[in-house]
Amino acid sequence: MRRGLYTAGAILLAVLLQVGLAPALSLGGVVPNFLLLVTVTLALVEGPNWGATAGFSAGLLFDLLGSGPIGPMALVLAVVGYVAGMLSANMFAEGWLLPLSVLAIASVVTGMAYGLLITVFVGTGSFWQGFVSVVLPEALYNVALGLLLYPVLARFLRRDRPMNTFRRLA
Amino acid sequence: MQTPGPENSPARPALLVALVVLALIVTTIYARESDRGPLHTTRSAVQSMVRPVETAGTWLTTPIRATSAWMSSLGVSRAEVAELRAQNGELRRRNAELEEARQENERLRGLVRLVEAQKLASLGARVIGRPENSWEGVITVDRGSADGVKVGMPVMGADGLLGQTVTVAKHSAKVRLITDQRSGVASMLQSSRAEGIVRGSINGQLTMDFVSKTATVTPGEVVLTSGMGGVFPKGLVVGEVLDVSAPANALYPLIKVRPTAKLQGIEEVLILTGPTSAPDVGSTE
Repeated sequence: MRRGLYTAGAILLAVLLQVGLAPALSLGGVVPNFLLLVTVTLALVEGPNWGATAGFSAGLLFDLLGSGPIGPMALVLAVVGYVAGMLSANMFAEGWLLPLSVLAIASVVTGMAYGLLITVFVGTGSFWQGFVSVVLPEALYNVALGLLLYPVLARFLRRDRPMNTFRRLA
Repeated sequence: MQTPGPENSPARPALLVALVVLALIVTTIYARESDRGPLHTTRSAVQSMVRPVETAGTWLTTPIRATSAWMSSLGVSRAEVAELRAQNGELRRRNAELEEARQENERLRGLVRLVEAQKLASLGARVIGRPENSWEGVITVDRGSADGVKVGMPVMGADGLLGQTVTVAKHSAKVRLITDQRSGVASMLQSSRAEGIVRGSINGQLTMDFVSKTATVTPGEVVLTSGMGGVFPKGLVVGEVLDVSAPANALYPLIKVRPTAKLQGIEEVLILTGPTSAPDVGSTE
């Protein structure tokens, strides 16, 4: 029950950041994806089942907040959350490199899959143009933000064990 | 050292399959339902709910944008620093407020002039939200269905066409900019009258497609809406030709277009609600 509340709280926080803060952080049209960040964090902390469910919920909200088709990001984040969650058992080793590497890969995979789905469903846009001008820059941006937010989020979500340092936490 | 892993339940592939199928069902329903269907209605409701957050976010981040603008103008104002030092803080604050009001007034006058020239009924709106993700060139304005805004209405800036409304909530609407990859505007070149479609792209560049190879296109030529299709009224300024090239095996020339309207940092827009109801000026007898 408490786990569900924390998960819902984290997704709600991500929505607020995506709507209220992300537009102001736009760099050359590239906007960070807080919902992806929260999905990956939840997956790493809670495992594949929660990761998939949280990813589906976060993706659905992402789709509802936008103006494109509803469903593609829900599909992509559900899969990304599930796969990232499979790594959860090995994720809390010392060091920060592994979680951020997962975030970077998740960002690229999410961008590619979403771009592909949009191209298929909407029938416009160039996949490779999107890859260069959106997917890669956004992945870098997400990792930079993840460096700042992941430790905080993981501490917030994983209250069942003490985490005193970034090194221990990540 | 490795800390113990979390005690998570074992992975359930069936759950993932169920969520994927659900997402596909949702996508299919969205594609097939009308604008008043349950998913469209849910989207309007969600966007209405987050509107205060968007407004607050835009308001709270104003100092960031203002600081950025101030820093970019440092080179110009530095020469006046000595003179400005003589003024007290209160005067400077008031001057800034008046300047803001003057600029806003100028922008609004520009918008009104433009619309009066086109004889179009319009509705002024403020921008309360900017693109929330990297995939969409969409802004949010503070007018919605309660103000008579409908999906598909053209939206103008002071210098030209900005885009059109794509989703409408009760008190807000999303406007897809012409640079968005899903945008397409039936257009024509001002001098040659050759017609084509101005399309956006994922990186925000505009191109004019389907223009005949026989048409003479020169950089700097003005691109206007053609009125074809009935979405955008004829004669609105879209942009100007930036570059023209003719790839060897292409059916049409590659025409790059620079939008006339400033798409970054827009603060006020006009939503064109339709033609003005012209008074009957015919004979009274």
